[in-house]
Amino acid sequence: MSTAVVDFRSAVRLAWLLARPGAAGGSAAGLPVLAFGLVTALLLIVLAGALSFFRWQDPAAGLYQLLAVLALVLLVLPLLTLGGAAARLSARRRDDRLSTLRLLGATPSTVGIITVLESTALAAAGAVAGVAGYLLLAPLVQLIEFRGAPIGTAFWLNPLAVAGVAAAVVLLAAASAAAGLGKVVISPLGVRTRQAPAKVHWFRGVLGALVIVAGYAAVSTGYASAAIAIAVVLGTFAAGLAVLNLLGPWVVAVLGRRQLRKASTAGKLLAARAILESPKAAWRQVSGVAMTSFVAVFGGTGAALAGSSPQETMGPEQFIAGDIRTGILITIGVSFLMVACSAGVNQASAVLDRADLYSSLDRLGMPRHVMDRARIRAVMLPLLLVSLGSAAVAALLVLPLAGLALVMAPLSVLTIAACLAAGIGVVRGGLWATGPVMAKVLEPAR
Amino acid sequence: MNSTRTGSTRYTPDAVPAPGPSAARMTIPAPTDPAASARAQHPSSRPVPAILSARTLTKTYGSTTALSGLTLDIRAGESVAIMGTSGSGKTTLLHCLAGIVLPDSGRITLNTAAGSTRIDSLNESGRSRLRRESFGFVFQQGLLIPELTALENVAIALMLNGLDRTTAEQASAGWLQSLGLAGMEQRRIGELSGGQAQRVAIARAQVTGAGVIFADEPTGALDSATSAEVMQVLLDSTTGASKTLVVVTHDDTVASRCARVVSLQDGRLVGDSAGGAR
Ligand SMILES: Nc1ncnc2c1ncn2[C@@H]1O[C@H](COP(=O)(O)OP(=O)(O)OP(=O)(O)O)[C@@H](O)[C@H]1O
Ligand SMILES: [Mg+2]
Repeated sequence: MSTAVVDFRSAVRLAWLLARPGAAGGSAAGLPVLAFGLVTALLLIVLAGALSFFRWQDPAAGLYQLLAVLALVLLVLPLLTLGGAAARLSARRRDDRLSTLRLLGATPSTVGIITVLESTALAAAGAVAGVAGYLLLAPLVQLIEFRGAPIGTAFWLNPLAVAGVAAAVVLLAAASAAAGLGKVVISPLGVRTRQAPAKVHWFRGVLGALVIVAGYAAVSTGYASAAIAIAVVLGTFAAGLAVLNLLGPWVVAVLGRRQLRKASTAGKLLAARAILESPKAAWRQVSGVAMTSFVAVFGGTGAALAGSSPQETMGPEQFIAGDIRTGILITIGVSFLMVACSAGVNQASAVLDRADLYSSLDRLGMPRHVMDRARIRAVMLPLLLVSLGSAAVAALLVLPLAGLALVMAPLSVLTIAACLAAGIGVVRGGLWATGPVMAKVLEPAR
Repeated sequence: MNSTRTGSTRYTPDAVPAPGPSAARMTIPAPTDPAASARAQHPSSRPVPAILSARTLTKTYGSTTALSGLTLDIRAGESVAIMGTSGSGKTTLLHCLAGIVLPDSGRITLNTAAGSTRIDSLNESGRSRLRRESFGFVFQQGLLIPELTALENVAIALMLNGLDRTTAEQASAGWLQSLGLAGMEQRRIGELSGGQAQRVAIARAQVTGAGVIFADEPTGALDSATSAEVMQVLLDSTTGASKTLVVVTHDDTVASRCARVVSLQDGRLVGDSAGGAR
């Protein structure tokens, strides 16, 4: 028998041992399943909604289909963030055990197979739950009206497409677990042997500023053809999002250093150090809201623009303005939902990750509210900075296009303000939802 | 090793804040000259009263009995080693004495100048406060906060008791220096050796001026030479400064450095070098 087969067999046996009920805390397995379920359900619903636009054949349908694709593209990023968070959580919750197995002499490939098997199994359970969620929520989503009629039966996806989406989620989880393996396999002594914190280079700031200036110049220029102008706007939009991702970690690191200098209490000191420990991870926790508030500025202005053009009272155009608004609100709403879930999942894995530390701090007499405030602060501070900052960058890029009047129009200001408030509230809610995880972590100490 | 001893960590007893949950006042203990400790001797004739007194403690986990009717008095300024086979209830006893877990029945009283406190009848936040104000802890793995520097790890104990950061860091730097860690203040825990990290943990346990220090296998993860050094530092900074030290250990060498050794078996006291076994 080849060693690969032996490896696989022992891995399956070990994975089965580790997976038995009671072997791990229920919440540790439940959370990734829940997150994978949400990813699958939201992905199916959004896809179904967007594809329902393709039943129309008339000339005006082209605009709808274009916008549906745009909405899908916008939702891909938060969706991937959530999927990645779920995958990290499912892989991470076993880090300690896997390191132990490694110390006990399990070969790297055995450990690797176990990790991938586990994540895949959790994702498969989540995907099944997600399909059920899609079916359960369908009656509600079908009521949404486009072009004067509810979506209705056009909402149903081809069963093959449903299976395809579920399979894609499972594959994403497996791939992400495999990608995260390096850490466990390289260091049997655990992932916690971290040394100096990751540095984020100031060069990111310079590069980001350059792209913003270039984008501003590009959208300010007049273009002869409408097609080129649209391409420039979409290009600027994409470049803006890219800049956010580039600038985000650097801005968060600068914030962390400022906070560290100012920190006067134990909670503030812990929060600042947590941000500085990995500005990239801190950014990842809030990047979804940054994207969403960026989209909200473009979307809010777009909605105001659609509302300001003279209304057609007849024909297929009469619904366009209202439908664009509906579409924008749905896109923003769904992306918030995903951001909230990622925040919750990320926080839950952060707490599980540091279970030992939290329970020892509890033993030393650190009050629970100090620990809670520190971890909430470590998320909320970057969140406030980053969501306001990205709204400002978006406004800067939209200004030459739409003009001050439209950016400042009541509808767009309202949309933008509501989005910012909802985004901040939703992440706070996600943090709040991890309270029980913290309680569970501290419980054995009592 | 001697270099770590010359930086004496003794200080006058009046710098020690009155222990007990009512101790709102914080005094920063600072390492002072050894001569001061000469004035801090107990009157030798009278017996020293028990600072911690446990009466008929029982504790079960499901069907496991961790403590069964254990009675123990610990006198102020004493160094007590708790020994016994694995699973005999040492850690459980330490956790009960320190107010980390509540016994199922029995009494635990802390007697200080500020009065008596029934630890077993305090609520969770009362015990939490007692732990951070009146007790210091050193665990097997330092369990220090990895993203904080050595200095911040010590200072945070004072900041939790309401001290401002500048004062807390100054006091902490003094402690790190006296424990032989000068120049390592800005290192992160991952950048320290096991023995150095344990000293940071000792500094953290001492910096608040806690009257009782609990240590659970503080040298369990160290080699014998480092273990001896860390134990010396621990003894110097506790009993050497008329504080009380309760240390759980498997190591006879460590136990032999303590003034008193008690042995546990199946949750009962089966031996006491002070003659108090029952
Ligand atoms: N949280 C817990 N849940 C269930 N059982 C526990 C728990 N803590 C301790 N026990 C049990 O109580 C008994 C005493 O445990 P304790 O940790 O006090 O032993 P110990 O003397 O410190 O052992 P060691 O030298 O191995 O650290 C053991 O049988 C242990 O299994
Ligand atoms: Mg023990």
